[in-house]
Amino acid sequence: MTEPVTASFVDVEATFLRELVEQYLELVTAGAADDPAVARLTPAAYRDDDDASAEFAALTRDDLLGGRATEAERVLADLIAARSVDAAAEADVIVRIAPDSQTAWMRTLNGLRLVLAARIGIVDDGDDASDDARYGAYEWLGYRLELLVQSISG
Amino acid sequence: MGMMATALPALDEELVVDVSSNGPWQTVVWNDPVNLMSYVAHVFRTYFGFSGARAHQLMLTVHHDGHAVVAEGPRETMEAHVRAMHEYGLWATVRRAES
Repeated sequence: MTEPVTASFVDVEATFLRELVEQYLELVTAGAADDPAVARLTPAAYRDDDDASAEFAALTRDDLLGGRATEAERVLADLIAARSVDAAAEADVIVRIAPDSQTAWMRTLNGLRLVLAARIGIVDDGDDASDDARYGAYEWLGYRLELLVQSISG
Repeated sequence: MGMMATALPALDEELVVDVSSNGPWQTVVWNDPVNLMSYVAHVFRTYFGFSGARAHQLMLTVHHDGHAVVAEGPRETMEAHVRAMHEYGLWATVRRAES
C-alpha cells in the first residue's frame, strides 16, 4: 500500500456511491443500538459470555463507530475532490486514492456491504436476496471492493 | 494433547502446537456470507503480516470450516486483535483455547 491507486466511475456511479456513503455516515454517526445494521458493524467479542461482550463493547463501540465515520468522511472527500475528466454526462470520474486513504476506502465499501446485507437479509450462507431492489447495489459494492483489493494488493 | 486433538478436530497441528507457550486465549474469525474472500485474505496479510499463501490458507479455512484461529496469546492481545478485525468488518471473537 505504498502507491496511489485510481478508481474510475461513470458519473452516475460516483453520484450514487456518494449518496450511499452519506447515508452510511449518518448511520454510524447515529449509532442506534437497536439497528441490526449497526449491530453487524459492532459484533459481540465473545460468543458465550454476555458480560465480557458488554464490557468489550463499552470500551470499544464508540471508537469503532467513530472510526468508521472518519473513514466515510475521507471517502467522501476523495469523491468530491475527483474531477470529471470530461464534461459529458457519461464521462468517467477518476478518483485518486492515496495510500493513507486506501484502508478507509476498503473498510467503507465493505461496511456499506455489511449494512446492505443486514437490510436485505443476507445473514447466513445461502440467503438469497436477489429479488430485493437493493441487491444490485450490494453486488455492485462487492464488485468495486474486489477491484480495489486487487489494485491495492497487486 | 489427546483432549485437545479431540476438542479441536478442525485445526491443523501448526495452529494448536503453541497454545501452552503463547497463552490460553485465541482470536477466532468466523465465516459470513458478505465479506469477500479476497478482502479477508488481504486483511490477514496486511494486519497480521502473514505471507500471501498463509493468509489465503487461513481465509479458506474460515470459508470451508466456518471459522479459523488466526492468533493465540494473552487475552488483552486477543481483544486488541478482535477489535482490529471488527474495524475491518470481519466477524471475530475471543475465546479460551480449551473451548
